[in-house]
Amino acid sequence: MYIHSSSFDLQGERKSMYKQSENSFFKCGEKTSPISVILVTSGSRGNKLLFRYPFQRVADCTSSLTTKQRSPYALNTTGDVLEDPDGDSREQTPLTDEQLVAGFSDIILATILATKSDMCGKKFELKIDNVRFVGHPTLLQHPHTIQVSKTDPSPKREMPTMILFSVVFALRANADPSVISCMHNLSRRIAIALQHEERRCQYLTREAKLMLAVQDEVTNMTETDGSPQSPFRQILPKCKLARDLKEAYDSLCTTGVVRLHINNWLEVSFCLPHKIHRVGSNHVPPEALERSLKAIRPYHALLLLDSEKALLAQLPLDCSPALVRLIKTCSAVKNLQQLAQDADLNLLQIFQIAAHLVYWGKAIIVYPLCENNVYMLSPHANISLYSPLAEGFGQQFPGHDLPSMLAKFSLPLSLSEFRNPLDASVQEAQLIQMVVWMLQRRLLIQLHTYVCLLVPPSEEEPGLLRDEELPLVARVGGRSLSTPSALSFGSPTSSDDMTLTSPSMDNSSAELLPGGDSPLNRRMTETLLASLTEHERQVILNIPAAQSPEDLRMFARLLHYFRGHHHLEEIMYNENMRRSQLKTLFDKFRSVLVVTNHEDPVISLFQSPLE
Amino acid sequence: MGMSRIECIFFSEFHPTLGPKITYQVPEEYISRELFDTVQVYIITKPELQNKLITVTAMEKKLIGCPVCIEHKKYSRNALLFNLGLVCDARTKTCALEPIVKKLSGYLTTLELESGFISNEESKQKLLPIMSTLLEELNATGACTLPIDESNTINLKLIEQRRDPLIVQEYDVPVFTQCKDHFIKSQWDLTTQQILAYVDGFRHIQKISAEADVELNLVRIAVQNLLYYGVVTLVSIFQYSNVYCTTPKVQSLIDDRSVQAECLSYVTKQGQKRACLRDVFQLYCGLTPGTTVRDLCSRYSQQVQRVDERRLIQYGLMKGLIRRLQKYPVKVTRDERSRPPRLYTGCHSYDEICCKTGMSYKELDERLENDPNIIVCWK
Repeated sequence: MYIHSSSFDLQGERKSMYKQSENSFFKCGEKTSPISVILVTSGSRGNKLLFRYPFQRVADCTSSLTTKQRSPYALNTTGDVLEDPDGDSREQTPLTDEQLVAGFSDIILATILATKSDMCGKKFELKIDNVRFVGHPTLLQHPHTIQVSKTDPSPKREMPTMILFSVVFALRANADPSVISCMHNLSRRIAIALQHEERRCQYLTREAKLMLAVQDEVTNMTETDGSPQSPFRQILPKCKLARDLKEAYDSLCTTGVVRLHINNWLEVSFCLPHKIHRVGSNHVPPEALERSLKAIRPYHALLLLDSEKALLAQLPLDCSPALVRLIKTCSAVKNLQQLAQDADLNLLQIFQIAAHLVYWGKAIIVYPLCENNVYMLSPHANISLYSPLAEGFGQQFPGHDLPSMLAKFSLPLSLSEFRNPLDASVQEAQLIQMVVWMLQRRLLIQLHTYVCLLVPPSEEEPGLLRDEELPLVARVGGRSLSTPSALSFGSPTSSDDMTLTSPSMDNSSAELLPGGDSPLNRRMTETLLASLTEHERQVILNIPAAQSPEDLRMFARLLHYFRGHHHLEEIMYNENMRRSQLKTLFDKFRSVLVVTNHEDPVISLFQSPLE
Repeated sequence: MGMSRIECIFFSEFHPTLGPKITYQVPEEYISRELFDTVQVYIITKPELQNKLITVTAMEKKLIGCPVCIEHKKYSRNALLFNLGLVCDARTKTCALEPIVKKLSGYLTTLELESGFISNEESKQKLLPIMSTLLEELNATGACTLPIDESNTINLKLIEQRRDPLIVQEYDVPVFTQCKDHFIKSQWDLTTQQILAYVDGFRHIQKISAEADVELNLVRIAVQNLLYYGVVTLVSIFQYSNVYCTTPKVQSLIDDRSVQAECLSYVTKQGQKRACLRDVFQLYCGLTPGTTVRDLCSRYSQQVQRVDERRLIQYGLMKGLIRRLQKYPVKVTRDERSRPPRLYTGCHSYDEICCKTGMSYKELDERLENDPNIIVCWK
């Protein structure tokens, strides 16, 4: 959906950030980039390879038998190993990507990639030694109709008919399964567009004819001149489809964002999350991304990774107005629920658009910025003096240097502490901007407070220790308060699943009457505490604070949060309580509660790669 | 072997009159006519694809084979083409099966060249019971040793593919993932045997190298090998001045009973009653940025009575319940004439610098504290 703009600074920074990272054990570009893109067809003229890119160098055309397989551990005695730009001499590239696929002649590729018609409409996957081919062979006409046309003597039928075609990507055999899946997806999308254009105006047949004509021409020339040439080089300027395929390949190898216009008409857009979502030298697997997106809550916020202006400029003219409204009203201090109200969209739409922006690498999910947010330096942050990040920071905020700023977050720091009250208020705005800048580049993580109920074991009966230690979670049962999994990419979901208020729960606070030590309230409290063991109940009731029925009631009501999976802000949101109330409660019952601070695992994905 | 279950083994060849066909398959009738028609071009292949490992997915099945072609005038059509392959479910990970297929194709080629095993109709029939045995044993134990005739035996083993290990640094500390005695020492190479005694979960690579009198790089490689097989994992050097903090995984101590049991028995001091969960959990949660291990022990003196704090930290790091906060010095301002910083760039931790230069933490601290141009980041 977005035009790849080369002025998208963040991409450039991320690419060079990778180059500077030490300990990169393998070149991850190879694992997530295709080696080659190939277009094959099968028809009345048999199987043909129409186009492939990159094309073989002239000398390699006949060298398939002479390319040696070299063990990655062999010493480099011959001089022709490609220079590793990262200078990591430990790793030897056995065969260059080009050589891997160059070893296959056009004819053999045509034979193995143009499948039988019963393999059409499904994922095609073939692995030969170190190369994996993936595609989506697509049927153009029913095989039976070909027979009819063969017997038809009319001159129009002389044109060879195409039965099926396939856009195949060649990858290294050890590519991640999710990368293979993504490549298949792209192949399928291109196939759908081509199938459509073929039915509408025989686009594919025309392009195929052009390609084959050039191939024949070059073969004739080679026979007469004797000098071998690559026909595909000649095809490029003449065929739009060839240029599209080349562009797809180039984009996949660099930015991971593909945007094509098949026949200058149908748009095919695609992004490879493995290239877009990188932190350091690791990519974030799409499934992990999707899982995280399904767990975001209305109290989270959307942080755009680029300026509003730049982002809007990347959108096509016919994009959804909801998207534009969202981008314009979006802010790091506003949570998704507020965003829904301000942008006049329902929460479900907000979730879907937010997920879309995150998937395409244009935004991340954070907790909305506020005074009490506590940030710390991310363990994966690049704090090198010479990193492009440091340079960028210096340009954006003259007079300040990144390492000094980052050093301040060596110990967890709240935003209010960071903004020194003695400084002039003009500085204040800039400090907030700095924090936003650092969050966008995954340099900071936010810490939240988690609480766990752990009652001191009873001394008198050591034999029962085993039971005493059975954690609350085993008895109460896991209750996930995350956004219902109805959220999935592109599919319509019921808006009943999304509620603006907290999800209803058995022990909901809503039913409890305010104030007073009424019998009803006391019974409620008893019910809530019934899930505890006798020993636990006794210990809790013996706490001085438990003598106050209101405090006890609040404690009982919040009991199910005390399993270490819900942070303070979540409890505040769900129960509509103030931070001070909760903190006081925790303090009163501190003899049975254990408190710790760490990042929110749900959104920490956006700050660090999966371990 | 749970992961790669073989559903079928087939032997396919190019018949001089009938063309490509499946001569034998166990279990019988597993590969349908349809399936074979679809994939035969990948089984009995053109010359360009011979001796290559080919895996094709079709109709919910994965077929792995290695087509062989032996050319000789004695064969009708001057060549013998065959392929002994495996069939699995399409979702199976088949990387581990590939060496097996390759080896089998090698065996059959040798057998044919030596004694015409395949071209002779009588001896070819022996293939069927061989394939049956292979299927059974590979699925059951992942290994198979099968004598074919007086001079040839097939030896096959499924080897699990593992991820590449991290590079081991001289300041890393290897620690056994299971009790050391669990491993049969004589199975390892000499270098590993020499250093095993020094791998105690507290000595770092440089120290092991010095004390075991083995060259540093050899120690690194040996430990990397142990890392590859999951025998050890790496943690950081322990000092009482170290700072750690919890990760979200610390909650697994509450959620997972097996982790609880394992942890409590691991961290309890020798000879003491088993530590209680609450104490241990409190100790882990007491680890925060700015708190050293020394601070922790004095602050939680009651909880630490039954707990060996070194093993507490060790366990926490091994299981990812806590992580170490390392110090990284950065020289932010410098004289234009002075050399650019080599180690104080934010890329090298105190652990690394001390290891490389031989300084102690205290010495490094003193040196850097007095330098106004250097700031320290913790992460």
